[in-house]
Amino acid sequence: MMNPAPKAEAFCHRTRREFLWETGCGFGGAALAAMLGADGLLPTADANAPIGNPLEPRPSQLPGKAKSVIFLFMYGGPSHLDTFDYKPQLVGRDGQTVEVKTHGRGGHRNEGRIVEPRWKFHQHGASGKWVSTLFPHLGKCVDDIAFLHSMTAESPIHGSAMLMMNSGRLQSGFPALGSWLNYGLGSLNENLPGFVVMLDQSGGPISGAKNWSSGYMPATYSGATFRPTGSPINDLNLPRDVSRQERRTLLDSLVKLNQHHAELRPDQADLQARIATYELAFRMQQHAPEAVDLKTETAATLAAYGVGRSPTHEFGTRCLLARRLVERGVRFVQLYSGGAHNDHNWDAHGDLEANHSLHAKETDQPIAALLQDLKQRGMLDETLVIWGGEFGRQPTAEYAVGTGRDHNAYGFTMWMAGGGIKGGLSIGSTDELGSAAVEEPLPVKRLHATVLHQMGLDPNRLSYFYRGLDQKLVGVEAVEPIRQII
Amino acid sequence: MTTQRILRLAIVLTIGLCAPWTCFAATVDFVTQIKPILARHCFACHGPGVSSGGLRFNSQQAAFAQLDSGVHAITPGDVGASELIKRVKSADPENRMPPEGKPLSSEEIALLERWIVEGAAWNNHWAFSPIKKPTPPEVQDREWVINPIDAFVLAKLEAANLKPAPAADRRTLARRAYYDLTGLPPSYAEVEAFVADTSPNSWSNLVDKLLASPHYGEHWARHWLDVVRYAETNSFERDGPKPNAWKYRDYVIRAFNTDKPYDEFVREQLAGDELDKVTQDSIIATGYYRLGIWDDEPADPVQARADERDDWVSTTSQAFLGLTLGCARCHDHKIDPLPQTDYYGLVAFFADLTSYGQRGDEITNSQWQFGDPELLAQRAKLDQLEQAIAAEKVSIEEVGIKRMSAEDQRRSETLERQALLEEKLLKFLNASEANQYQGIVKRLERVRRQREALPPMDAALAVAKCEPLPAETRLMVRGNPHVPGALVEPQFPQIFGDPPPRIAPAAEGARSAGRRRVLADWIASEQNWLTARVIVNRVWQHHFGRGIVRSANNFGELGDPPTHPELLDWLAVWLMEHEWRLKPLHELIMASRTYQMSGQTNAAALAVDPTNDLLWRFDLRRLSGEEVRDSTLVVAGSLTRDVYGPSIYPRLSQELLLTQSMPGNGWSESTPTQQNRRSIYIHVKRSLLEPLLTAFDLPDVDSSCEARFVTTQPQQALTLLNSEFVSEQARQLAERVQASASEPRQQVAESIRIALAREPSPTELSTGVELIADFQQQHSCSYDKALQQWCLVVLNLNEFLYVD
Repeated sequence: MMNPAPKAEAFCHRTRREFLWETGCGFGGAALAAMLGADGLLPTADANAPIGNPLEPRPSQLPGKAKSVIFLFMYGGPSHLDTFDYKPQLVGRDGQTVEVKTHGRGGHRNEGRIVEPRWKFHQHGASGKWVSTLFPHLGKCVDDIAFLHSMTAESPIHGSAMLMMNSGRLQSGFPALGSWLNYGLGSLNENLPGFVVMLDQSGGPISGAKNWSSGYMPATYSGATFRPTGSPINDLNLPRDVSRQERRTLLDSLVKLNQHHAELRPDQADLQARIATYELAFRMQQHAPEAVDLKTETAATLAAYGVGRSPTHEFGTRCLLARRLVERGVRFVQLYSGGAHNDHNWDAHGDLEANHSLHAKETDQPIAALLQDLKQRGMLDETLVIWGGEFGRQPTAEYAVGTGRDHNAYGFTMWMAGGGIKGGLSIGSTDELGSAAVEEPLPVKRLHATVLHQMGLDPNRLSYFYRGLDQKLVGVEAVEPIRQII
Repeated sequence: MTTQRILRLAIVLTIGLCAPWTCFAATVDFVTQIKPILARHCFACHGPGVSSGGLRFNSQQAAFAQLDSGVHAITPGDVGASELIKRVKSADPENRMPPEGKPLSSEEIALLERWIVEGAAWNNHWAFSPIKKPTPPEVQDREWVINPIDAFVLAKLEAANLKPAPAADRRTLARRAYYDLTGLPPSYAEVEAFVADTSPNSWSNLVDKLLASPHYGEHWARHWLDVVRYAETNSFERDGPKPNAWKYRDYVIRAFNTDKPYDEFVREQLAGDELDKVTQDSIIATGYYRLGIWDDEPADPVQARADERDDWVSTTSQAFLGLTLGCARCHDHKIDPLPQTDYYGLVAFFADLTSYGQRGDEITNSQWQFGDPELLAQRAKLDQLEQAIAAEKVSIEEVGIKRMSAEDQRRSETLERQALLEEKLLKFLNASEANQYQGIVKRLERVRRQREALPPMDAALAVAKCEPLPAETRLMVRGNPHVPGALVEPQFPQIFGDPPPRIAPAAEGARSAGRRRVLADWIASEQNWLTARVIVNRVWQHHFGRGIVRSANNFGELGDPPTHPELLDWLAVWLMEHEWRLKPLHELIMASRTYQMSGQTNAAALAVDPTNDLLWRFDLRRLSGEEVRDSTLVVAGSLTRDVYGPSIYPRLSQELLLTQSMPGNGWSESTPTQQNRRSIYIHVKRSLLEPLLTAFDLPDVDSSCEARFVTTQPQQALTLLNSEFVSEQARQLAERVQASASEPRQQVAESIRIALAREPSPTELSTGVELIADFQQQHSCSYDKALQQWCLVVLNLNEFLYVD
């Protein structure tokens, strides 16, 4: 039959979405949706409307393998040449000048002095993967990992490259990957945020909160920074002089008066929603601290993650928390290895040896423990783990002396494990110097498409109507997930 | 027979699927029924840019014209003489259209036939036609109509058999008026005075009083700042400050307070540096162009420059015209009649705009220096000299640094540079280099002293430098700035049918190209189809919680259709008849019966029109983040009511600052009095937004926001119960009520009077008194703390956060 109003059918959901929005939500919103739905106050979203309550769990578009993502963000840009991209051709050529096109912080160059990889490589696992001695523990996990050696980014500058890795755009103002997942799938736990970011103790990354912003989507989809100590979420803890019983007394009075106000406005769903959020907040105050409380973990688990020992304690704690959050239904957890500036992160411009030794030691054992722990608990299949930075590093030196390498967005390595990803694989390659991707270059959007696909979302269909367009994480043109590793 | 049956069925379905009030006539609608068929089946060969056989269906003229073969595709009223019908019905596959793909369905053909029989009305999308002033419709209940707004609203309600809600009571009206016009709550005394005022002009007197308040400008400026992506930093790695951005914010506040005509407001922002009469205000207004994000270290400078222009095109087209022209950056708009050349035609108008800056110089292009020209010249000379000497100094430093270790070379690029140089530089320079270096340092100090001795400068964020003879503008193939296509001259979007402007190249010595002035005049013209509609819609939006067009930035075919199109046009004309001044428009709207309805529910209306599209009642509205924060300060008695001035920095928690790569960078702390100013004065740092405002839906500040989300989520509860800010305000409120009453019961009563501007109910009194007693007895708290906890309850009441 003729569709009498294709415009309304196809494009007016925005209004509908916003209308639905106004009926409120929790971090989860499922209970609330049920409550409002039961009262007949919440219109049922039709098949075309991608979203009802913003964080209500939604059936995925495709049969997805993964339920959650843990993104281990190696901020600053780790050197692929010194970690997972084995280049025997560089061995013995330290100090030689080669012709190679590079583009880094220092601009474009046509030649440079080779810095031979500073660590030896060995083969590991049944797949015989070459891994440098920086990652002895991770070496044992290679058969669970798919390495992507031909990643490319559009910028060799931290700020824009970070935004690209997090939101697919070089500019700020667009929703992060974690926002897209929560928008597309909703959250499985109303008592915790669906998108959690845990920062390095040295500080946030460049551009701070822009990296986990929900851009043009509602702020509910933005990442919540979560802390292992103190108040895990902003303003979660009660003020020091207020007890939980006291708060209950206060809430009981508040609910009573707010109910009275709502009774006179019986069809205003937001008023009921707002009353409900106070109860949700009260429950969160119990659940969120429980999620960060490591007392229930065995000594063996703590030891495996390196908790309580230098230099693994800090990152190990956050890896363990990541597992606990994923267990509790958080969709997207992002951990930053490294923060602030200079050698507080992987940005090894000066002394690469000192820099990478430090950050690898902090993270190698915890990451390996995380993979093994997830596997042992049967969670690895449902948890997609991503490792990588915003770019890699150049094969040549940045300065006349020393081992520092400048940024390299032409080719670098990331890896994925779990969540339906095939292990023991390596995809793509860089040239013999490791300066640029040559075999199957993988732009960041391919990585994003793969993540969405594994989570059961169609990267070319998941869209959000904004500024007159159906916006997509992967952009206008169709993007294929990386099929070889699925 | 069959055709007819299908036809009837189609009509039935059409009506069945429409809301009852949108389907009056059964005539075929071109925009919603015919155009999609043509677009789907015909545009590939007979659409924008392609005209096989001389036929194009994207304009009426082209579609009705005689074709190369001598026939007409469409002859209004005559199906037999319409080749289109013959060809789509043809049984001969050689002859049938479309040549490839599925033939048209019989339903589609029937619609086309009926449309032609009915005269082939080629009505354009509602917004793409000149504004005509409609006559207010006749209504049954004439008593209800105070002014024409009511006639338009009531006519639709009557057509849908709905009754408008009764009038709101005076207390509700007072609170509504205070919030709508000033964003601040009324005091108990103010509401009482209004309730007691029995004069016939009491309502209009109140409205006038509020419009005259400086807080009116503060509140309405915030709405405009959302639209123009106002922020005071650049985003990206450094998220550096935009000095003097606050003067643009003050300009907007002042424009509202002085009721600057909207057309002038438009002209000043778009071409304030090119007007006949350039004033300090009009220069500051051009800060409009400098508010966007800016990458000081772009990976691809060509792309970054294109992105900057995109920000101007996107923001300008949405803010002033309600067009999402940004969609046509890469290709012709798929639905709206906006070809890619329209996008680049607008880019060409902006061709003389320089980039925000270059790394290391964010002054030249974007800071306009006011003051004595002689002094300015003197300063400029010293600046130049200083730069030259500084460059000499750096070049010698680099000689030394190159000889240092890699770690030290790295250090030299950080904040530790100065310390490093002081410690080591001379060791790495030979004697003559060192000598030269010390000489340079002395010269530099001398120049700096001279410069500091000059009187301080007054500067504004503005279009300080232009390219009077700009480079040519080219269309970018697929939006890729590295693939330039055809040359494009400044041109208005083609849907308007206006001839391209003839703009002579700038005369020698001109400081700008004069193109933006032409654009500004065209936008701010009474002949423009969109400008007046777009602004009256925004005004309506902030009175009623939603625009007549809900998608306030998108009046195109993908936007939401207007709920009251005739009313929108009537208001647009009315605004222009009243010198484009907004204050009379507020008065008109607020004088209407429509505005003064209550929010009372009505089961019948709720069932038919749950989103209140027909305005059968006044919608409840939650306060914005700014209103929540400002109201809390008012009630606590701590609001600092200073108007205008540099931005303020409220204290942020350490946890929040730790999300920065340099904790605390770009954030200072204002004095306590300054911290308690209205939220519009809070420094807008793109990567570090104030958390209470964010929790209550402060929009992303990187692009234009047409309407804020209104979410309800637990972070809001956490913030309003646990944040230091709210705890402190609850304490202040407790002190305030203690100062005016001694008994718990009276204190509870006073807290309700202060926060809600009315007498407390018995339930509130007993609840408050019991809560205080419970805290004292069960939780062994001091009286002060118990009262503070009650005050915290008050600040969290739904009635405090929602306006009826």
